[in-house]
Amino acid sequence: MADENNTTEPSTRALTRRQIVAGGTAAAALVGLAACGSDDEGATTETTAAGGTETTAGGGTETTAGGTETTAASGEGKTGGTLRVAVVGSTNDVIDGQYIVAKPDQARLVLGWEPLVNYDADFNISYEHSLAENVEVVAADHYIITLKEGITFHNGNPVTADDVIYSFERRLDPDLGLAPALSVLLDKSGLTKVDDRTVDVKLLQPAVTFLNGLAEYTATVVPVGYTREGEQIGTGPFMLKSFTSGAESVHVRYDGYWGGAAYLDEVQIIDFADAAAAVNAFTSGQVDAMVDLPFAQAEAVKGSSDLTLLVSEAGSWLPITMAIDQAPFDDVRVRQAMRLIPNREQMVQQVLSGYGSVGNDMYGKLDGSYPKDLPQREQDIEAAKALLAEAGQENLTIDLFAPDDTAGLPEMAAAFAQMAKEAGVTVNVKVLDGGTYWGEQYTKYTFATSFWGTRPYLNQVAAGSLKDAVYPETHWPPADSDFADKYLAAIAETDQDKRYAIIEEMQTEEYEDGGNIIWGFNNLLDAHANYVMGFEARPNVLNLDHFGRGMKRIWLDV
Amino acid sequence: MGILKLVLRRLALGVLTLFVVSLAVFLLSQALPSDPARAVLGREATEENVAAFRAQYGLDQPMITQYTTWIKGLLQGEPGVSYSNGQPIMDFLGDRIQNSLFLMFMGSLISIPLSLVIGSYAALRRDKAFDNANSVSSLILAAMPEFVLGAFLVVLFATNVWNIFPATIRIRPGEPPWSDMKGMILPLMTLTLAVTPYVSRVVRASMIEVLESDYVEMGRLKGLPERTVLWRHAMPNAIGPTFQVIALNVAYMAGGVVVVESLFNFPGIGLAMRDAVRDVNIPVVQFLAMFISFIYVVTNLAADIGTILVTPRLRTRLK
Repeated sequence: MADENNTTEPSTRALTRRQIVAGGTAAAALVGLAACGSDDEGATTETTAAGGTETTAGGGTETTAGGTETTAASGEGKTGGTLRVAVVGSTNDVIDGQYIVAKPDQARLVLGWEPLVNYDADFNISYEHSLAENVEVVAADHYIITLKEGITFHNGNPVTADDVIYSFERRLDPDLGLAPALSVLLDKSGLTKVDDRTVDVKLLQPAVTFLNGLAEYTATVVPVGYTREGEQIGTGPFMLKSFTSGAESVHVRYDGYWGGAAYLDEVQIIDFADAAAAVNAFTSGQVDAMVDLPFAQAEAVKGSSDLTLLVSEAGSWLPITMAIDQAPFDDVRVRQAMRLIPNREQMVQQVLSGYGSVGNDMYGKLDGSYPKDLPQREQDIEAAKALLAEAGQENLTIDLFAPDDTAGLPEMAAAFAQMAKEAGVTVNVKVLDGGTYWGEQYTKYTFATSFWGTRPYLNQVAAGSLKDAVYPETHWPPADSDFADKYLAAIAETDQDKRYAIIEEMQTEEYEDGGNIIWGFNNLLDAHANYVMGFEARPNVLNLDHFGRGMKRIWLDV
Repeated sequence: MGILKLVLRRLALGVLTLFVVSLAVFLLSQALPSDPARAVLGREATEENVAAFRAQYGLDQPMITQYTTWIKGLLQGEPGVSYSNGQPIMDFLGDRIQNSLFLMFMGSLISIPLSLVIGSYAALRRDKAFDNANSVSSLILAAMPEFVLGAFLVVLFATNVWNIFPATIRIRPGEPPWSDMKGMILPLMTLTLAVTPYVSRVVRASMIEVLESDYVEMGRLKGLPERTVLWRHAMPNAIGPTFQVIALNVAYMAGGVVVVESLFNFPGIGLAMRDAVRDVNIPVVQFLAMFISFIYVVTNLAADIGTILVTPRLRTRLK
């Protein structure tokens, strides 16, 4: 196995790092890359037998060093080379086209598999980088998905409606438990094949959030019969060649990729047990890019003339959660007081080393419905004390729970406890091991900490802010609230303006009375060598510019 | 005849030790406060997922059954399946075991002879310049935690000062551990600097004791050349007592060097153990605990037998 792919000698590339800085032609080319992705969609590709040529309708052609193969796409990039990406991982890694356990799994999934729709940089539903040509909203509970033409799996077979249906069914399979939120909206009987490229989907209830669910990066299309144990076939720009849990995976270019073949010959996702080792490997040129650069290393990378820091705004957040039906938080004044305690700017500095933005106790940051008019909540110790006094909780002492397996949460709890002292509140931070923390007590704590990824507002409500949510951490909404009814009305409303009007009421209620203390959102912090071209800093759900959308337009200027 | 009997008796003791260790490992892992099903499945898990997980890995069986199933698997070379990625343990730990054994071998190959030479030379030159310089430097090295030592070497040789050795090692899956010898340089340097001070100081102390003994003096008085006194008479008696210390350090290099593995991203069993403990991945913890115990038992056995064989006094007693 190992012999056949001995194409790139890692150490030889390290030498070329110094030569790169000299060649300045690439910088100008970088700007046009994002746009050319969509231009390629219409291009047709034809592959002849091995060693033959491959041409597309797109601009110029590039010849690889061997000269045997001409690849297409637009003229900007150079074809060839191996990209080595360092990610912190362990033997927990799995490979699955529709499921991830850890960070390296995300990178591997995005290289090989694609969802039906996607988000653009403004977090609107987009068909770029994804398999559907159109998703028609017939009604809030009725959708018609049409596939793009000419999409093939890595084995050359065309993607059909059957594959789309199988992909839904696999995600709904209760034994696999891949997408618990989807099974609330959909069961097998709602899926009908119309023709080879069209699937009709009828939901169990009206829910426009279904579209957002389609845009999740794990909601990919796999071929009929796909399993985690079987052959790893997807539609993405790179095919999996080998995978060893906790060590590395090797991905090679799929020349038949529908969006035009990628530039790189090979991508290696390399596991590092420890971020410090990954940083050493990165700064000494053993890898070309690094996911999740430790905050402390950011300045060093900024100061280097060979390395580029990639800071992307994200919608992920680390809340402190108050169970609104448990004492003392069953008194809304205590909740309001707690939200006045943190110095949010300082929390961002302390917990995120400044790589984040201040929060306003409101989630769904990248969503178009995110409320920008609500006044920014600031630290106000006097007001907090007054509220606590009113509620008869002047000398409140309370335990705040945090898990030891999620970076930032113990630090956040400690920072909050420190600030709470000023308001006369004694917060005892209890750090539990991850297995215990997320065990039976999870979602039952009175006062705890958590983490959430980037979701649109309504999807986040379904995940965490309803009585029957997947993780009802704050036990929201209150018994006398019509929040849940508003939620049902909002997901049944296909008109965006009308929907946003309902959402605004829901957001205001949570802003006033809710149980989440959302002091900030963290940025994604990655880095790459200057000669790696094509990554762009923009709001993103995933690291490294959404892993370069499968590294399809990433190239090496060497 | 006597030596065979000794080896057999020690072997039997080793097996007994491993049996006791297996009981302890099993019972301790049962007593872990964290629920493995929860730890592995994470917060996404439903009650049904947890129940299915327990059934799949036999966690709903009585303890005795779990223990005998486990031991049977170990003996057949099938130590089970990892909770966290669902793969048979040997599929992803086989390479790591090989790598760790190679690191142990190479580390021993360099640090043991080096310690013997430095230790005995310091003993011969007792209280002279070499001995004093060696005492000070080995105390400093011994006082430095390995990660400081290793991080210092990385800064010096790989990242900030010179870029001459790779900062991390990369042994590709399926490749032998010696496929990246350049990457082995810094890990081996770190291990050597960490292990040699200990062993060489024990060698020095033992050598000094022997050099002051009556039979060495007798040899010298008889007019034997100093070289004969040293290598024929003093060395065999001095080296025996150091074997136990050497054995401990050798076994340590196989499974105990988590810090070194982590710093250089060395794919060894120390890191695998750390991850497994963190994730309550009990089958892996149990297997690695048994494997590392096995290494300790084997190296100690070798040290015991070696001590008896090289020490003339003990060797003659066997007959």
